[in-house]
Amino acid sequence: MENGNTSGDKSSVKPIRCKAAVSRKAGEPLIMEEIVVAPPQPYEVRIRIICTALCYSDITFWKLQVPPACFPRILGHEAIGLIPVQVEELRVVESVGENVKEVVEGDTVLPTFMSDCGDCADCKSHKSNLCSKFPFKVSPYMPRYEDSSRFTDLNGNTLFHFLNVSSFSEYTVLDVANVVKIDSSIPPSRACLLSCGVSTGVGAAWETAKVEKGSTVVIFGLGSIGLAVAEGARLCGASRIIGVDINPAKFQIGKKFGVNEFVNSKTCENKRVSEVINEMTCGGADYCFECVGSSSLVQEAYACCRKGWGKTITLGVDKPGSQICLDSFDVLHHGKTLVGSMFGGLKAKTHIPILLKYYLDNELELDKFVTHEMKFEDINDAFQLLIEGKCIRCVLWMG
Amino acid sequence: MTSSLTINEGKPIRCKAAVCRKAGEALVIEEIQVDPPQAYEVRIKILCTSLCHTDLTFWKLDSGPAARFPRILGHEAVGVVESIGENVDGFKQGDVVLPVFHPQCEDCKDCKSSKSNWCARFADDFLSNTRRYGMASRFKDSTGEDIHHFIFVSSFSEYTVVDIAHLVKISPEIPVDKAALLGCGVSTGVGAAWKVADVEEGSTVAIFGLGAVGLAVAEGARLRGASKIIGVDLNPDKFEIGKRFGITDFVNPALYKEKTISEVVKEMTKGGVDYSFECIGLASLMEEAFNSTRTGSGKTVILGMEKYKLPVSLGSYDLLRGRTICGTLFGGLKPKLDIPILVDRYLKKELNLDGFITHELSFEEINKAFNLSMEGNSIRCVLWMDK
Repeated sequence: MENGNTSGDKSSVKPIRCKAAVSRKAGEPLIMEEIVVAPPQPYEVRIRIICTALCYSDITFWKLQVPPACFPRILGHEAIGLIPVQVEELRVVESVGENVKEVVEGDTVLPTFMSDCGDCADCKSHKSNLCSKFPFKVSPYMPRYEDSSRFTDLNGNTLFHFLNVSSFSEYTVLDVANVVKIDSSIPPSRACLLSCGVSTGVGAAWETAKVEKGSTVVIFGLGSIGLAVAEGARLCGASRIIGVDINPAKFQIGKKFGVNEFVNSKTCENKRVSEVINEMTCGGADYCFECVGSSSLVQEAYACCRKGWGKTITLGVDKPGSQICLDSFDVLHHGKTLVGSMFGGLKAKTHIPILLKYYLDNELELDKFVTHEMKFEDINDAFQLLIEGKCIRCVLWMG
Repeated sequence: MTSSLTINEGKPIRCKAAVCRKAGEALVIEEIQVDPPQAYEVRIKILCTSLCHTDLTFWKLDSGPAARFPRILGHEAVGVVESIGENVDGFKQGDVVLPVFHPQCEDCKDCKSSKSNWCARFADDFLSNTRRYGMASRFKDSTGEDIHHFIFVSSFSEYTVVDIAHLVKISPEIPVDKAALLGCGVSTGVGAAWKVADVEEGSTVAIFGLGAVGLAVAEGARLRGASKIIGVDLNPDKFEIGKRFGITDFVNPALYKEKTISEVVKEMTKGGVDYSFECIGLASLMEEAFNSTRTGSGKTVILGMEKYKLPVSLGSYDLLRGRTICGTLFGGLKPKLDIPILVDRYLKKELNLDGFITHELSFEEINKAFNLSMEGNSIRCVLWMDK
């Protein structure tokens, strides 16, 4: 496997100095620092981030003190960027590495943590959206070159990558498998949502579940993913969209996304949530979505999807090694399906442009996801807002 | 034939049955009385019946609500309609029929939908003796004591009474011993491959357990053009047998001390199979089957019944990475709709049923059939009533 280190040969190859929010210690505020971003290797592009949004997965790996968490790291994976045309001292600064054909300087792109190489058997198959050339893993490095990072701090120490994106930086380097070219006319603070959260939720309803008109849907967890599932289910014509959350404020919020019934799982008296749902739906929902990342909640969701054709879809990310336990009698006898998906089962390069078109056609609504917009420097405030459950999507604008 | 069927109409019939009086003990061939069918019921003269592993499971069961004695087991059979009760449409004396343990009322939301074979009206209850009359039984022994039914079929008897929701009329052209197989095992396996998994050409498949159900899955996958059908079994003889049903590769877990079966399967298929089927009924194997599938698109179908009701434990990260798991009864098939289709396929020589029958005995030799099954060397043993 190639080493991927800077060859230092070409006169136009230059590292860039810029600002980044570096996570140096688990759970501690990110530090705004100057870092050095190496030029792109073959099959890579270096982009300037326009804006980036905070997703709960960033929080998860910021807090985590064991692998795959690692420090110091540049987090962030929901963003929109530009492949800059830069001329410094009469030389063009490399933004596009060798062998990159699908994007050029000047393009607006969405970085995506989900790799889409377009070449392997899985990328070529309609059945899977998990690229096997670059299998998903929470790696500290670039996907194509072993143990290879493009970031160093001013002391020359390596800074680790995150989910192939690392968007909490003014510049980042992406593999071409993690880049989707998009229409530059779309407002950046809306488009960036499709590089993770909204695509995951809407895709889960459309692609993974294939919710039909008139369905009954239950969504466990009304964070951005859950609300995006509601949006997707709404667009699919679901007639009942039941939201389950421990925060009663989520009902009002959820209504804007299509949630028409609400269960506060903290106030179910002595009943389990699944019992309440089974009663409300006379036997269970057509589709249950778990959007929190708790195996016990997945089990609850499975218990209240209907016998016969009920489907439970899991989207939330639990701790590494967590297990979902199902009653084997239930599994065999009741005909239910349990399926997991990442990125809503969507192929980044195929489906993101489709979702953007739905946005431009005023079908898919993105504005309501953005509750806060801030400067990049205020990133730690954004972390607090999300931890406290006070925002849906907080978009951070680079200077 | 018809005249012998009409003489007992409306009256109890005295006939022979193999009665299970104590868990795990030899069945006793006794004279019993079979009452006439009530409304929505049909009394059937059984022509032949085969032994399925589920009969053995419940035969051995000595505790819990499902353990009942005395009981008439058996649920895979073919018969002829002897008489019908009130409100019975679609069946008449002389019809060749298949009683089926899985209900289809044709009336509830699920029966009316093509999305599954669940029957919301009836499928939850598998313990009552009669569908519409609770614990009322149509069988009495020579002392007048009620004998329990078994999953709405009870085919280890010369005559039985079956609810119309559990009865399928079939073409008289198919040899009855082949037809009987469609009452459970073969339909379950073929249905799982065709309807539940929907195996497509070129797929790779792993089947855990090469009993009748597993071999039927192989047959179903073979007919769909699966490119690789891996059979997993502890009995090495199953490979030769399995080849006839389409098995292309064989894994004997006893030969792999250091590796798990899922690791072996993943190596054989460069990442995992498209579809895996668990056809035994062990939670640990259900987990192996799940872990054997390909990231991104793998689907696991559970067909085995966990006798200890142990939970199935799945890695949340493995599930998240695009895997599906589901279970199914009767291969997802709607009996009245799909069994005639399978009969048709057999008659057109598109489905192999003959290969499943390894032994034939007379009904009186039923305990021999149990022993054969427990020894693990038979696939299906057919018991003829009038041999």
